[in-house]
Amino acid sequence: MSEAISRLKKDYLFNLALKGQREDGRGFDEVRDLIVETNVIDKAEGSAKVLLGDTQVLVGVKLQVGSPFADSADKGVIITSMELNPIASPNFEAGPPREKAIEMARVVDRGIRESGAIDLNKLCITEGVEVWIVFIDVHVLNDSGNLLDAASIGAIAALMTATLPGEREGRGEDVKLPICEMPVSLSFVDIGGELVIDATNNEESVSDLRLTIVTNQDGSICAMQKSGPGTLSEENFLRSVEKSREIGAQIREEYLLNI
Amino acid sequence: MSDKPEKFIDENGLRLDGRRVDEIRPMTVEMGVLSRADGSCYLEWGNNKVLAAVYGPRELHPRRLQRPSEALVRYRYNMAAFSVEDRIRPGPSRRSTEISKVSGEAFEPVVMKQFYPGAVIDVFAEVLQADAGTRTAAINAATLALVDAGIPMKGLVASCAVGKVDGQLVLDLNKPEDNYGDADLPIAMTEDGEITLLQMDGNLTADEIAKGIEMARKGCEQIFAIQKEALLSKFGTTDEEELLKEAELQAELATSEDEAEDVEVVSEVVSEVVSEVVSEVALEGEDDELEDEVDEDLELQDEGEAFTDDEVENASDEAEDLFGEDVSEFDINEGTESEGDSSSEPEDAESNEDEGEKNE
Amino acid sequence: MDRNIVIPGQLLSEKKEMAGPGTYVKDGNIYSLLYGVANFKGRVSVVPFSGKYIPSRKDFIIVKVIDVTPSNWIMETGSPYDGLLHVSEFPKRVDSSEMRKFMDIGDSVVVRVKDVSKAMKVELSMREQGSKVLRQGRIIEVMPAKVPRVIGHGGSMVSVLKKESNCDVFVGKNGRIWINGRDNDMDRLTTAIEMIESESHISGLTDKVGIFLRGGPEGTESSDEEQLVDEEVAGVSLEDDDVTEETSRKVDVLLENDPEETD
Repeated sequence: MSEAISRLKKDYLFNLALKGQREDGRGFDEVRDLIVETNVIDKAEGSAKVLLGDTQVLVGVKLQVGSPFADSADKGVIITSMELNPIASPNFEAGPPREKAIEMARVVDRGIRESGAIDLNKLCITEGVEVWIVFIDVHVLNDSGNLLDAASIGAIAALMTATLPGEREGRGEDVKLPICEMPVSLSFVDIGGELVIDATNNEESVSDLRLTIVTNQDGSICAMQKSGPGTLSEENFLRSVEKSREIGAQIREEYLLNI
Repeated sequence: MSDKPEKFIDENGLRLDGRRVDEIRPMTVEMGVLSRADGSCYLEWGNNKVLAAVYGPRELHPRRLQRPSEALVRYRYNMAAFSVEDRIRPGPSRRSTEISKVSGEAFEPVVMKQFYPGAVIDVFAEVLQADAGTRTAAINAATLALVDAGIPMKGLVASCAVGKVDGQLVLDLNKPEDNYGDADLPIAMTEDGEITLLQMDGNLTADEIAKGIEMARKGCEQIFAIQKEALLSKFGTTDEEELLKEAELQAELATSEDEAEDVEVVSEVVSEVVSEVVSEVALEGEDDELEDEVDEDLELQDEGEAFTDDEVENASDEAEDLFGEDVSEFDINEGTESEGDSSSEPEDAESNEDEGEKNE
Repeated sequence: MDRNIVIPGQLLSEKKEMAGPGTYVKDGNIYSLLYGVANFKGRVSVVPFSGKYIPSRKDFIIVKVIDVTPSNWIMETGSPYDGLLHVSEFPKRVDSSEMRKFMDIGDSVVVRVKDVSKAMKVELSMREQGSKVLRQGRIIEVMPAKVPRVIGHGGSMVSVLKKESNCDVFVGKNGRIWINGRDNDMDRLTTAIEMIESESHISGLTDKVGIFLRGGPEGTESSDEEQLVDEEVAGVSLEDDDVTEETSRKVDVLLENDPEETD
């Protein structure tokens, strides 16, 4: 990951940004082609494959019966994992997740958790004893940039298709996982003072700042993360909040509501 | 969970999924599916879904892992957490570490490691959905990913398993046969029929083993046919004549490139008339450069001949010895580190492994 | 048919003495080592569809500085092997302490491969005409296997690219192409190079690229376009064609002859 960045590449991308352009011809607020396929893994209780440009992630949801946390004895549990698999990029190495992967997994988790996407109260089987545990596993297949949004969209799409395996676990009938919100995550990276949405891996490589904003159906914000050593102006930040609300609504409309 | 079928093979000799005893499950293959990898392949086999990718040859760090006279072939078999009925913890387990080791070794005899001293060829196999026979499915996909990456190889490798149910040998176990059968014998082989992977658990007589190997060989032949079809059909829509023209262009560049570049690039003023350039290329190409080229070619061919017959075998034997030692050491190190980091309790890691075994 | 798409392990010939690049000999027979196109003219050889660039003596390549040590610049070469450029191989005398002033981490440089040892230690040089630090322009990456297309028969494609785009073009053997000119020209040239790389047919590709760069519509059948182009231009492209055909014939002759002569 400590790859030396080509100065020419950096200059090129920065000069484009000055002219309001990007390397693949998109506008600053334009998201790449998005394809969301659901129910792609029969072995998972819910699953989704997300193609965001050339970026590919596969998200699987598994449900198991387990013990609740002591401080939320009547609520189900969400566990989100994401690894930067070496199959997905020449820059990823095998081994346990490092801070970058852990940060991404936690931001994906926060969007799902804080939006209240899953009605955790309904996942309680016996208070203090047994609850459903929701495992969200993000399997990264190809990193052409913006894994975080691909993973987040995959996570909510997979959850929306998930079934509680009541029969298999001897806990009653199979029912749909109770979903009550559709959070959409959108990330921006800074290129020469301009924030561009849904960055490619090239754009990410020359940027020192990523801003992620997760929005709910009513336009409220449920999670945010500024990542990287760069600084963010208030003006850019507030404009991104508006953009993420606007584009988030479009993505929800076009890709999630029909699941 | 014990829903063992009463019979695995019916009176018509058909298995639970309708196959005959010597039939493999349907297999589909898609090449070049990942943009970042140097070569890749997605393969479905029955309900198995596996993705294999190759990165390399590429620089190998840390240096101590480098082999002075050949490339290291590293294979990583990894199961997605959601690929099996009961979720498994992400990351390497003892089971996946062992499979990675022997699967990598299954490619040792065919990959021309000698061409890339000090480098590494990384092969990653991801099991996205597991349904008995994932290691063999992964090897079949990995072969194609290696070919797709342009890695020089002496031939393909195919893999399938033979097992035993109802006292009969069956090819390519399905899930119930794998779970409740009496034996599992996964094999990989080269097109020459040399065995490159061999594992077995359960109980078989010597006769059954001999017969089983023959069945596996026939299975591998079917898989070789599918692999070849996938490779040849990748260019199905392209006019073969076009490819030949390209090959000629490549060959031309191989002979004249130095001069062409000198003329084309180095000189400040590019000749207005292309024909001048051309005559220069042709002329210079005729003198000393050509001799150089011939020498190089002869060297190459010598090299080619050096790798023939017995010598090749010896070389790869030696290499395998080296490989076995170094790599297992490396893998174990890596494995323990990761497990240590990611699991809170050692018992947990063990139970994880057991889950894995069951799921296979 | 004498030539075709082949895969590793495929039997190509029973005459082992005809074994050429991309093949190996076993039990007296020639087999393919690669996935690519077999050529049976002269010796039996296979040209691969894909694969990494491997440094070879005398190649001009575009590299990137990834580290600077007291006497060497360490270069990323787009191959499995980093290259070393010793301070004495810089065209000017450079004091050890000042190396970063001349080339620093992240800089792209045109260098020539001076030598490659058996253990693949790659030594680079800039003491050659044409070597330089690239301070302006852009670098486009193509698959190394597509470099011959970008150069074309006898350099015909590079000539068209330069002439029709008004840009400087340098094609590194490692698949990195440096271009420099006005922004609009570089944009068109980038598209043209992407076109060369992704086009499945190479017949008439030089003409097609020329027409594109001159502002012709993209994606139209080239035969139709040729009729639309005015006579003068058509004349030029015809001439190009003749020349390249001529070259390829010459090269083919050379290719066919030299192995026989050495045998």
